[in-house]
Amino acid sequence: MIPAEATALAEGVRASLATLKDVNGIAGSFVCTQSGRLVAREIPALFEDAVLAEAGSRLLRVGETFAAGGDELEVAVVRYGEHRIYLKSIAGGMLCIVVTGPVNMPALRMAANLVGRRIAAAVARAQAELPPAPAEPAPRASAGHPTATAPAPGHEAPPGMRRFRGRTVE
Amino acid sequence: MSVYARGSNKGRPGNNAAAPPGASPGVVAPRGFSAQLRGASLWDLVQMECLARSHLSVQVVGEGGVGYLYFDRGHIVHATTPQLAGEAAALEILAWTNGSFQTCDRPWPEQVTIGTSHEGLILQAAQIQDESGASNLVAFPARGGPTAGDEGFEELELTEIEEEGAGDMRGTKMDELAPPPSAGTNGGRGDTGGDFAVVMRLGPSGAITTNRGGTEALAETVAYAQRLLQLAGELLGFEEFSAVECGFVAGRCIIFSEGEGEMVALRPRPEANLQALRERLGL
Repeated sequence: MIPAEATALAEGVRASLATLKDVNGIAGSFVCTQSGRLVAREIPALFEDAVLAEAGSRLLRVGETFAAGGDELEVAVVRYGEHRIYLKSIAGGMLCIVVTGPVNMPALRMAANLVGRRIAAAVARAQAELPPAPAEPAPRASAGHPTATAPAPGHEAPPGMRRFRGRTVE
Repeated sequence: MSVYARGSNKGRPGNNAAAPPGASPGVVAPRGFSAQLRGASLWDLVQMECLARSHLSVQVVGEGGVGYLYFDRGHIVHATTPQLAGEAAALEILAWTNGSFQTCDRPWPEQVTIGTSHEGLILQAAQIQDESGASNLVAFPARGGPTAGDEGFEELELTEIEEEGAGDMRGTKMDELAPPPSAGTNGGRGDTGGDFAVVMRLGPSGAITTNRGGTEALAETVAYAQRLLQLAGELLGFEEFSAVECGFVAGRCIIFSEGEGEMVALRPRPEANLQALRERLGL
């Protein structure tokens, strides 16, 4: 896959992710391949690409952990205080949806199903054709992830967000 | 059905002399708040006191008589009923479905008799409730005002709610979430009934502290998955991991943190209704 194709693929996935925000409470989403590469993101800039890739690779490993015991993970809802992450396994990777506060869960599930179906082919292709993420992701800059799409400027942190990688966020 | 509650943030035990029993609204400046709530329950009140880390004793009058709960820094540390004391008394009280709840001035117990967390007690009470088949949703009828017999500070009257379909954790079957309170480890309902095929509790070090139906391999999976989820949350700057529900191609698993670093893992049976548990865990 040439860089231009990778960029187009990421943009296509990002556009699908953007539709998730039609559901109230969804703060953003991102997609990682099974090799831990961030394919696309549609989430406030507060979350850096490297952090999303790092978190995504751990979330993927949760699925692998259960798979080792014979349980193939399809979906998961993870609760962190006021935040939740909805995980949906798709071919070649995982869709991660960040939720802040209350959300209509049936609507979220349906939206995730549709988006998952729409992006599955692209994510599978990214997994097959793009090189895996660096072993030691940098804590900052996203320059090392050409397929990651930068979010629109002006995005703010979700309500209630106070810490980010150990730093206080205003 | 509704809840009537009176309370004062000045009226904790020890200050009863300042209470104006029978005070008429509009004549004496009201102390505390009056409120009407719907869908509250004794369990909510217990959790409220624990969340507030209150140090107080509460008199609960229910269908089983009069009982007392003693709260201290987020825990129920002691309980008494006419026949029982300690955890058994707490479970009996938590199983009551209607009555009254008010703070009281009782001699503080000389020793702590309850080691189980309030969440654990409520889960066990849920099982008792489930077995009885009765709804424990409670509500508080509105009242015109305090009566002459009122002690004054915090009072909540509970009456059983009969609304169909109201959501509360007591509305779901919580079988086998904890060992039967009056039976031995392998006694009671056995391994064939209930909504959960597996109920496993892990200590902070990952050691299995209680287990019904789980395996060593599941404990390893749970411990590692919990750690990964915790790390992912930290990376994203979220609050502490509290719970996860996983849906598999075949089956489900719920893991949640409880108390001081303990984890509980549940494998629900396919037919289990988990809505109330999800609500409780915020999933």
